[in-house]
Amino acid sequence: MNNTPRVLNRVLIGILGIMLLGIGVLLVLLATVPAVGFWWHEWAGGVLNFWLNLFERTQFPRRQESWLWLVICFALVVVLGLMVAWVAQQGKGRTSLIVAEEDPGGVPGNVGISGGVAEQALRAALADRPDLAGVTVAAYEIRGVPALKIRVEPRQGVAPHKLAADVSSLVEALDAVIGKRTPVLIHIGSGARSRFGRAERVR
Amino acid sequence: MSQDIQNAGIGPGPYDAGPAPERAPLGSGAAGMGRILKRETHSSRAVVSVIAAALVVVVCGYALLETAVRAIGQPPWIVDPLTAAERVVALPAGMPPLLLGVTGAVVAMAGLFFFLNAVLPGRRARHLLPDRRAAVVVDDEVIAAALARRARLAANVTQQQVMVVVSRNRVVVNVRPTSGVPLRPDAVLDAVRRELEEMGPSPMPDVRIYVATAGVVGA
Repeated sequence: MNNTPRVLNRVLIGILGIMLLGIGVLLVLLATVPAVGFWWHEWAGGVLNFWLNLFERTQFPRRQESWLWLVICFALVVVLGLMVAWVAQQGKGRTSLIVAEEDPGGVPGNVGISGGVAEQALRAALADRPDLAGVTVAAYEIRGVPALKIRVEPRQGVAPHKLAADVSSLVEALDAVIGKRTPVLIHIGSGARSRFGRAERVR
Repeated sequence: MSQDIQNAGIGPGPYDAGPAPERAPLGSGAAGMGRILKRETHSSRAVVSVIAAALVVVVCGYALLETAVRAIGQPPWIVDPLTAAERVVALPAGMPPLLLGVTGAVVAMAGLFFFLNAVLPGRRARHLLPDRRAAVVVDDEVIAAALARRARLAANVTQQQVMVVVSRNRVVVNVRPTSGVPLRPDAVLDAVRRELEEMGPSPMPDVRIYVATAGVVGA
């Protein structure tokens, strides 16, 4: 539900996978098939000579070193920066406000309702239930629209549809309190606490 | 009981002023909700992405170190880039073929892992439930636990004698009866089916039951 760039992830992982797969298969072929070794000498030798030539031609004016090394350094730094940016994109999209609108009343100004309101209200409403091991509420921004994600961890054996109906009626009550329908996702999941905790016996 | 509790926290209350937002279209419409559900039932590949990025960062970081050292004319740390390139060109020589083959196999496996992660649909073990207000996603594990409880009650056996496996299109109920106590598979199957229909997960799986031939003694 967060704004992880899924297509980008797939594309980049796919590119890396194909590259690694190609290198791996090439190494295996080099180790096993002699003919591939000859071809590799020809082809890679040509590539290496091309680069050596390039280094020759790009030397600093009165010095031995080539400035191509600096260019390669720069390119690597760019790649590193892109990788860091890519990692930073994962799992973002949390927001703090579930409602942010201009107040239509006489007083000028905006009204903002924090996601903490929804979280505290739902937590308090669900706190006494013996069949739940945990509740987390988070607000995300989906295409500019804030949405709530309610993650409920029931104990083992709790019927999910009944739990969903209960939480959903709580959400409707919350709608009435806030005065606005936000998109809501209820995720009924299992975690360590529901898995290893005692099973729900009486309801 | 739960009814009382749930209204204690945030009951509807006397607040009723202003335009009723009831049944107003969702902020982003049904399409937005569909998108959320699609994203919730499919893996985002965030973990694999971070692994891939870390791999690239390590390799590029080392390459950057050696290149920078070379660019400012210092002696290399481990291997000079040009020497490394020459060694790579001369590859089948200068390295035992077994080591080369194993290295290649490991690299190819890693590549296959990343490639399959990118290409496969990456469905999560989750089902959707119908609801009038919110989108509901349930882990298959929770469904399995609920069905197991139902099957256990219908079969009148202990918790350890029932195992339920839920996959996308199939629910498999494994029951080990108590020795000497007859068990009617149809009744258990019916109970599980009814619970599943009441739940209404989508996609709806079909139910199979397997009753073990050997019973449990003294349960």
